[in-house]
Amino acid sequence: MNKVLIANRGEIAVRILRACRELGIETVAVYSEADRQALHVRYADEAYLLGPAPSRESYLRADKIIDIARETGAQAIHPGYGFLAERADFAQAVQEAGLVFIGPKPSAIAAMGDKMTARNTVAAAGVPVVPGTEGEGALNDDDLIAIAPKIGFPLLIKATAGGGGKGMREVKNIEEMPDLIRSARREAEAAFGDGNVYLEKLLLGARHIEIQILADQHGNVIHLGERECSLQRRHQKLLEESPSPFIGDDEELRQRMGAVAVKAAQAVEYVNAGTIEFLVDKDKNFFFLEMNTRLQVEHPVTETATGVDIVMEQFRIARGRQLSYKQEDIRQDSAAIECRINAEDPYNNFMPSTGRIAHILLPTGPGIRVDTGVYPGFEISPYYDSLISKVITWGETRAQAILRMRRALEEYRIVGVRTNIPFHQKMMDSHRFMGGQYDTRFVEEQFSFEEVEEGKETYPEIAALMATLVAHRQMERSAQVIQRGERDTSNWKWVGRWERMQR
Amino acid sequence: MKYIATIAGQEFAIEIIDEHHILMGLKLLEVDFESVSGQPVYSLLVNGKSFEAYVYSEEHDWQVVLLGQQYPVKVEDEREKRLRSVGGSTVGESAEFHLRAPMPGLVVAIPIAEGDRVEKGQVLVILESMKMQNELKSPRAGTAYRIRVKPGDSVEQRQTLLSVT
Repeated sequence: MNKVLIANRGEIAVRILRACRELGIETVAVYSEADRQALHVRYADEAYLLGPAPSRESYLRADKIIDIARETGAQAIHPGYGFLAERADFAQAVQEAGLVFIGPKPSAIAAMGDKMTARNTVAAAGVPVVPGTEGEGALNDDDLIAIAPKIGFPLLIKATAGGGGKGMREVKNIEEMPDLIRSARREAEAAFGDGNVYLEKLLLGARHIEIQILADQHGNVIHLGERECSLQRRHQKLLEESPSPFIGDDEELRQRMGAVAVKAAQAVEYVNAGTIEFLVDKDKNFFFLEMNTRLQVEHPVTETATGVDIVMEQFRIARGRQLSYKQEDIRQDSAAIECRINAEDPYNNFMPSTGRIAHILLPTGPGIRVDTGVYPGFEISPYYDSLISKVITWGETRAQAILRMRRALEEYRIVGVRTNIPFHQKMMDSHRFMGGQYDTRFVEEQFSFEEVEEGKETYPEIAALMATLVAHRQMERSAQVIQRGERDTSNWKWVGRWERMQR
Repeated sequence: MKYIATIAGQEFAIEIIDEHHILMGLKLLEVDFESVSGQPVYSLLVNGKSFEAYVYSEEHDWQVVLLGQQYPVKVEDEREKRLRSVGGSTVGESAEFHLRAPMPGLVVAIPIAEGDRVEKGQVLVILESMKMQNELKSPRAGTAYRIRVKPGDSVEQRQTLLSVT
């Protein structure tokens, strides 16, 4: 394997390109009309246009991507995350074209992609799942309503083909169920073309903790410890860390979850990098939620905490080699935190913000990693997701990682689009976060972004002074514009002189 | 030049004496103020203390993002302030509201109909952008009219979607 096509864009395409460079692999980028000047196009050895900006006409054009791989002589395709990464039919087509898909087998993607099948498969392998309608097959509305009281309220209606919170509804009592089932089906139908739903008990006060696994083609499966991902808003992760402050030094729990994750991966004969998501209740009972059969956005957290280069291992696995590590080599002995910097305005209900990045100054220095696909002058378009960059900090301890993150967020300057940096800054200052006491409801229910943290110093005089100085300058400038017209010669004379000069 | 800056009801009297001297209330401050490489990022040295902020205008106010906090600031010169206190400041209360798209995107749903009575905070339009569905809410109670878009329409930034009167 000496040439790879990267079927993605943004920071993850750049991340994969970097691994290729380090391995001496040639790179082929693909891009949409909106991304002609994107970093992944500039960094790659070769780049080919897929089509117009909307994803379905560009980054989702599986046929075109496979054709380009063939024509350029690439031997493998790395899908990144999102787009085609979890499409079993794409993985299958890549294989049939005689190319290597850097990821799991199509059968494993299919088995884990259907949430209901996934629950049934891992439950059969002895992995605990959140109680619900597993093993029931597709149910109609009446069946769902009949079975709901046995599961107990509150519960969740989830889309079988789901992801990203689409087609998901929370149900408090049986009366509201018929309406919610209908709207969940409608949303799932629109988002995935599949209106199937299932039920799952809603665990209160639970945490979202996931285990990174790596599996080679020789049957070796290891886990790289956990990532704590409970800080979410509308089912979108905002901040991840490793180790989880909830698991802390309970090594027994960590290893037990790791072993269960390995078992879940083996249940579908998993190969390459993947993640098993668990819900963990306050009594430390854990339940399988789903498996992500791809490289994840938050993989740098694990890379930073363990020192393992996950993307490098992905290439190694795809080349048919053995993993570079055995389970006993993996040590999660430092702390890592990742803040997702999104083009969203935290002062305006996290509304997406688009525009040209006029100015950007990224944090650097000890213990800081920034993965990004943007640069000054880059246009944040409405066509793709709002992730601008990921800031990851490393610390010998969690406290050091937090201090570094605070410094990094303070250094970070970006002008032209609004970002959620102030949200992360507030989070880093929150006592609950510092104490590691948060669950999946924290951001939406207990964390007030508007409320000024107690004891936090504010500078209204400085703000007043700066706004006034800017307003004053603007006024002086507009006054000058008016004065310019008052020069002693008329504009017609100026034009005449200029024309004479051109002769 | 004398200005009044207002933050959350608190007024600051600021007099710009010259390039490097400012009278804030009764305090004389020595300042040095520069925009960083022509960007709306400003560096302020005030009596030796260094601050940096992102300052931009929005509607009729200035927004200052300083040390992780955002301050909405109203800046008026003395004359403007006097005019306003004479003319009263009820503008905006009764005027109609035009809902503009805060970003380019796709109209997913309009859960209201022409002529509907809407409450403050009620969702008027659901707009999809950057793979997220965003609820655009009414800032006040009134009647929705002149709905100019329908589900499935692509809209540009600042395009007027509908009005509330």
